[in-house]
Amino acid sequence: MNAIELKDLTKYYGKSRGIIDVNLDVKEGEIFGFIGPNGAGKSTTIRTLLSLIFPTSGSAKIFGMDCFKSQEKIKMNIGYLPSEVNYYDDMIVKDLLFYSAKFYKKDCTNKINRLCDILELDVRKKIDALSFGNKKKVAVIQSLLHDPKLLILDEPTGGLDPLMQNRFFEILKEENKKGVTIFFSSHILSEVQKLCNRVAIVKQGKILKVETVEKLRGEKFRKVTVESQNSFDVNLQGMRNVEKEGKVMSFLFNGDIKYLIKSLSEIEVSNLWIEEPSLEEIFMHYYKS
Amino acid sequence: MTIFKRELSRNKKSFIIWTTILLLCNIGMMTMYPTLAAEADSYSEMISKEMQKALSMDQLNFALILHYFAYVFVYIILFGGVYAMLLGASIVSREENEKTIEFLLAKPVTRRAIITQKALVVLFYIALFNVIFIVGDFFTFEFLKQDEYSIKTFMLMHVGFFLLQLTFASLGLFISIFITKAKTIYPITFGIVLGAFFLNVISAISDKLEVFKHFTPFNYINPSHIAVNSSIEIIYIAIMFTVIIVSVVSTYLVYDKKDISV
Repeated sequence: MNAIELKDLTKYYGKSRGIIDVNLDVKEGEIFGFIGPNGAGKSTTIRTLLSLIFPTSGSAKIFGMDCFKSQEKIKMNIGYLPSEVNYYDDMIVKDLLFYSAKFYKKDCTNKINRLCDILELDVRKKIDALSFGNKKKVAVIQSLLHDPKLLILDEPTGGLDPLMQNRFFEILKEENKKGVTIFFSSHILSEVQKLCNRVAIVKQGKILKVETVEKLRGEKFRKVTVESQNSFDVNLQGMRNVEKEGKVMSFLFNGDIKYLIKSLSEIEVSNLWIEEPSLEEIFMHYYKS
Repeated sequence: MTIFKRELSRNKKSFIIWTTILLLCNIGMMTMYPTLAAEADSYSEMISKEMQKALSMDQLNFALILHYFAYVFVYIILFGGVYAMLLGASIVSREENEKTIEFLLAKPVTRRAIITQKALVVLFYIALFNVIFIVGDFFTFEFLKQDEYSIKTFMLMHVGFFLLQLTFASLGLFISIFITKAKTIYPITFGIVLGAFFLNVISAISDKLEVFKHFTPFNYINPSHIAVNSSIEIIYIAIMFTVIIVSVVSTYLVYDKKDISV
């Protein structure tokens, strides 16, 4: 069964675009990346999944149930981590976590204590007085305390320091091993690369491509950087994202390496790097085209 | 029940403050009754006829405790109305204003259940508010009275107050589905309640403006009228019930389909 199933999902805010014809299947047990720049429609998609907003057309299902008709049932099994954390200003951390737990009608004390230990969070502090990163920790725990089957994360790492990010990713991996599906929305590609099985790339409200992380990496792009004392130019088939800065030229290359070497041999090369590009650089080519 | 309990505790402080201050004002003003009752005649000569009309004093006899109470109670009703409307207008919209609605709607709870539990908290606090006033005023009356008074009239004044508060609270609830910013809700609430109050005042002064009295709940349950007639007109009760029911039902319908983007 699919954890998430979106069919031709479209949302307009009046006349302005939210998302257009989004089709997406997220399989159960998967860690699915949802990548795009700001304003691409990531949050609109997530808000629709949570039925905070209603689509103009199309359908959205979670675990086979309609997102808008079976809200209560679905949300019993969802954990949501918002990108911006806003909580009740009169509560201390503990109040918020136990208020959250009450909705699920089960005892979540052990899980709360464990997660607070891992993330080093003081539960007696007033939420109002917490730093941005510490508020995020509260949100992380709040999204996990009831052992949801589907985690929806909207730009989850903002505010967490590198150490906490690592611990957070460890928690996510552990949850995923238990069978939890994770929907991970982000504009930071390196974190998606670390964690996800598949990614969808969104741009201007539409899905450009859904691909496994392995395959994206396997597209045989090489990042080539050439430095020379003299002025020079390389022009070959399979070159993309060409950038020239003084005596340094860099580009992505997926043509025949033989021709590249041949062409470079004619130049006074003073330095040369051929690297595997990061996903980021591969994606940039989708956004630019 | 989770949200109900949470809202009870969240609104407790403001309830205590409003109730204490208004009850103290009410009792404080009542303690002047024995002095005023003794000189009741001189007051009706001191104040101009128009002014008496505007304050609904023209038919009142301050020698009677219920009549003096009617004069005092108008101001309690005014501020009680403000409190009720603020309570109704902020209880749901606060979640959007403070962006906590994103947290709440991710929980296994329907929007209808959110409205139901929050509306019940409003009902609970307004009912409790009125019980406290009935008890408080009863003992004040027993302590200060010089003659017997009609307990029916006394109760009608308080029931009228209760209905007026429910009317403003449900109106506030409905308006707050559209206007969620606290800084807008406050002036609108004060504007509507004070506006309704002055509509009642001017409709009493001028014959030309008399028609406006049908549009303000302050006239429907005007304690001076109740003191004299010992009744509330059925049509006015019907109007208040209609406003309450229509507001609450519309709140459910609109909120269920509303896009919430914080």
